[in-house]
Amino acid sequence: MRLPAVGPFRRDFWRSPLRGPWLASALSSALLPLIAICAVTGFVSHWAYQPHLGGNAVFGGSAPGNGFDLYGLDWPTSPAWLYVATQGLHVITGLAAIPILLAKLWTVIPKLFENPPFRSPAHALERLSLLLLVGGSLFVFSTGVINIQVWYPFGFSFVPAHYYAAIVMLAALCLHVGLKLPVMRAAFRQRGVTRPLREDLRHTKPEPGLPGIVTSAPHAAAEPTLTRRALLGGVGAASAGLAVMTTGQVVGGPLAELAVLAPRGRGRGDGPNDFPINKTFAAANIPREKVGSDWRLLLHVTNERRAMLTREELLAMEQVTAELPIACVEGWSTTQTWSGVRLVDLARVAGVPDPSAVEVRSMQPRGALRSVTLGRGQVTHPEGMLALRVNGADLALDHGYPARVIVPALPGVHCTKWVGKMVFS
Amino acid sequence: MRRFRERYGAAPIHLLAVLASFAVAGYALSRALDLTRNPDRIVIWLGGSIVAHDLILFPVYALLGGITVAAIVGTRTRSRLRIAALNHLRVPALLSGLLLLVWFPLIADKGERSFMRVSGLSKDVYFGRWLTITAVLFAGSALLFAIRLRRLRRD
Repeated sequence: MRLPAVGPFRRDFWRSPLRGPWLASALSSALLPLIAICAVTGFVSHWAYQPHLGGNAVFGGSAPGNGFDLYGLDWPTSPAWLYVATQGLHVITGLAAIPILLAKLWTVIPKLFENPPFRSPAHALERLSLLLLVGGSLFVFSTGVINIQVWYPFGFSFVPAHYYAAIVMLAALCLHVGLKLPVMRAAFRQRGVTRPLREDLRHTKPEPGLPGIVTSAPHAAAEPTLTRRALLGGVGAASAGLAVMTTGQVVGGPLAELAVLAPRGRGRGDGPNDFPINKTFAAANIPREKVGSDWRLLLHVTNERRAMLTREELLAMEQVTAELPIACVEGWSTTQTWSGVRLVDLARVAGVPDPSAVEVRSMQPRGALRSVTLGRGQVTHPEGMLALRVNGADLALDHGYPARVIVPALPGVHCTKWVGKMVFS
Repeated sequence: MRRFRERYGAAPIHLLAVLASFAVAGYALSRALDLTRNPDRIVIWLGGSIVAHDLILFPVYALLGGITVAAIVGTRTRSRLRIAALNHLRVPALLSGLLLLVWFPLIADKGERSFMRVSGLSKDVYFGRWLTITAVLFAGSALLFAIRLRRLRRD
């Protein structure tokens, strides 16, 4: 079946002399490793939330099979910058992939208007799979990019949608790579892997296309106004620029000032509590009187209360001080000097000398992450603490006063603020 | 085997690979629809993103690009000067457009209320920053063009 040869369905509609299988292959070679790193670190982030513990699972409960939870393997506490690195890589590679993805779509878009649209059942299925690949990629990238800018226009739950759409994209991508590898090999053999990069404008000719394969190479090309080197250089520069700007907010500190177009890169001043906030006290909806002098930390073992401590009593206990980062799932971090009481010492007060887990509850009345369970490695780590002070001053209300959890390599949203109760087991 | 190839259009392994891919994708899609509120919105976003890129974003920038090429270079594709002028215009334009696309929610103050509530910061600085970056990109490109122009004239 052929469509009428009009508009984009006409073979000579597409005039750019740069399009073709070599350009598509070159862009794919850059795109694939970025998507691979982004995908792996995405699944790692899911693991870092330890969905197998308590009510940690953000979606679908804690039963095995709800995402790749690595079946009960605890998230490590060392190195302390582990989550900064994995989540930073996730956001950096994701953003850096966008210009390359757009250039790749520009390169192959003539194939969207292939005519005849379906040459065989195999061809039709392949195109259906491309629909999943392009739709899945645009879905995953757009929701991720919008989410890190703290805007939630989609109306569906971000985490399961982003997570499972990534699997849709990867399933289609694996098939795509498998089917297109021979085309890529043929294109590189025909044109050389890097030879087109050395051509100046006078020597920039349209790609001849590959025998027996429908490609995006033009049938009636215009004269070139750009070399392939300049095109790929521009795409690479855009990708590197986005990566560098984002690195500022991933690393935090003074470098964050480089992140001029990143949501969380901004300094707030020079005071001990002037570092970025993920959720303000006002947004947590906690009544003011709950964090006053009547505040008590409740230590439980299952339903039984074992101790009730005032902030003064906590400050009178042995204090530990450590310089540790807290890293947000949105891809930014901040490293501060925290001090407070070791979690393992609190377990001892509760009468649990060898704790295997602790459920930490915030005083927030609502919110998915107001209760979090930490595993054995986290609760027994010598720098795993209930922090009371930061940089030598009391925690500000926005940073979790009266007390918050700080554990090496723990994802930021699990560093529970405004802690009211801890249940050891 | 040959009859299968003729009818299907590829080797049987192709069909197996396609079905395996669809099975995984179908499973993931059904999980996404099961686990979220407003599952219909996922389908809309999935289809909408394809339409937004392939039938809106791409035609718009391709058309703008085509108009720019026609206006500056036209049929005089042998003029190195005109080609240089074109590229010194479209490179900063594309970079600025990319930044607008990626950081649109920041630049256009989308979600300002929730951002202010959770971070204690406002988004109102980003529009100015984007404008400044855009100005620097165009000015830098113009400067480079001026330098190239002098060299071209000398040759």
